[in-house]
Amino acid sequence: MLSDRTATATFRLAYVAVFVFLLAPVVVVIATSVSATSTVSFPPDGLSFHWYVALFTSEQWTRAIRNSLVVAAGTTVFATALGVLGAVGTRRIDGRISDLIAGLSVVPLLVPGVVLGVTLLVFFSELGRQQELWTIVAAHSLWATPLTYSVVRATLARYDWQLRDAALDLGATRVRAFREVVVPNVRAGIAAAALIAFVVSLQEFVMTLFLSGRGTRTVPVVAWNSLRNSLDPLVSVTSTLLVVAVLVVLVAVGAAVGLDRVARDTQ
Amino acid sequence: MSAVTRTRAFVVERPAAALVAPLLLFDLLVFVAPFGLLLRISLSERQPARAYAEGTWSTGGYEYLLDPSNTLASVLGFTFAFAAVVTVLSVVVATLYAHAMWRANGALRVVLTAGALVSMFTAIVVKLFAAILVISPNGVLNTALVGSGLLSEPLQLVNNAAGAVIGQLYIVAPYSVLAVYSVLSTVDESLLEAARDLGASGPHAFREVVIPHAVPGMLVAGVISFTWSVGSYAAPLLLGSGSERTAGIAVSDLLLREFDWPAAAALATTVTLSVVAALVAAHIGVSRLKVTTDAQ
Repeated sequence: MLSDRTATATFRLAYVAVFVFLLAPVVVVIATSVSATSTVSFPPDGLSFHWYVALFTSEQWTRAIRNSLVVAAGTTVFATALGVLGAVGTRRIDGRISDLIAGLSVVPLLVPGVVLGVTLLVFFSELGRQQELWTIVAAHSLWATPLTYSVVRATLARYDWQLRDAALDLGATRVRAFREVVVPNVRAGIAAAALIAFVVSLQEFVMTLFLSGRGTRTVPVVAWNSLRNSLDPLVSVTSTLLVVAVLVVLVAVGAAVGLDRVARDTQ
Repeated sequence: MSAVTRTRAFVVERPAAALVAPLLLFDLLVFVAPFGLLLRISLSERQPARAYAEGTWSTGGYEYLLDPSNTLASVLGFTFAFAAVVTVLSVVVATLYAHAMWRANGALRVVLTAGALVSMFTAIVVKLFAAILVISPNGVLNTALVGSGLLSEPLQLVNNAAGAVIGQLYIVAPYSVLAVYSVLSTVDESLLEAARDLGASGPHAFREVVIPHAVPGMLVAGVISFTWSVGSYAAPLLLGSGSERTAGIAVSDLLLREFDWPAAAALATTVTLSVVAALVAAHIGVSRLKVTTDAQ
């Protein structure tokens, strides 16, 4: 039987180890991206930003960055619009049907990315649409929409709908009441939903691997392809940029609605 | 009546249905229809010259999965074993870490929570790339272990099953941590204090008080880990060797290299069905759990 003190020490050691395990990637990736040497090494040899310069002069990478931004922006607009419309629509219809709709939209999140990627590749090639950016937007929206939908639904559930009824009583049309009375109060929730969609799209790569082609590869896909060959310092740089971009978005979401609420609403 | 007036009449009469329609239409077009096609292809005849024989019906794709002339049956076996190992490790690690988050106060709690969130929101590609830098023979971990004299030779943690498991853990562990934590955070900490006051040792109190309360969260963590690992692709491909071949990798190879669409579709369908089966089993498990706790 372990003594209490040994047990406590073991427990501390174990969770610190897990903490280091979880955060090691971020630290290592950022550190190797500013290395002065031509190989990926940790701890870095000297400090230099020349790999950042190299990234922005590489045609392959700049195109990947552009594709990633276009796809993420498209997914954000599309998934947020679908999520908001769906959440507003299911608010008033009876529980069973709205549960069914919520259930159907959640299923794609549970299907493995490789299966979805393969399925959509087969489907889009039967339609003769291959390697087009909008097919990637559609794929990412499959994962982003259930999240935007549930975040907006949770936001709307907290809203006091008597305010809107008052606006309707005072003669506002439905659309006007929604735009001028409801939206200003649920704006933070909608913004959080949009940012979550953006992050999901920016990071996704397994589906994109199957759906993209030479001209439509996104940053994670180009990173994956070069990883398969060798350890390229440019992957450290793009990884760092991805991590920083996501952290910036997260801080923005946290400022808008609080991280704790995001963690609860997306469940 | 023109299409425009018809649509307008529909929107005015049934605003709720009109608002939900785009979401449903999207799911039907981009999810239900593609899966219908996949299912149909999985039931077509396999043809050497073409991707699949249109309009034919056959169970050849599914029979091929069990055919001893290929390794697909053992690939499926490996996939489930791999998913089971990852699930157990992920739940153990998550319970331990979530317990630490729950017990911590002030700054330590914020730091531990941030650790889980940052890891969850780090792109999979970034985590796998960094995993190579950390665990490869000349990586950070081995340099530290050998340099400090703890080991005489570096540990082989890439290009084998260990690498594949560690890589997959990077993907699923943060989600598991948050799943367990979301349950633990609703438990009153004074329960644990009471057990300690009554003389229970730390490990004893953990086993008797914390674990029973954490079980629903551990179940969710297990389901997330298992469903994602059954469909794993990137981690075993990058950090494993040729023998760590999962069903996901095999689906991709069958489709893109061997052009055997019926077999690829049959394997993809099998993977999806086992994910669904795991979800249903967990759902039944959770409702049984509720019944027993309600009865107490």
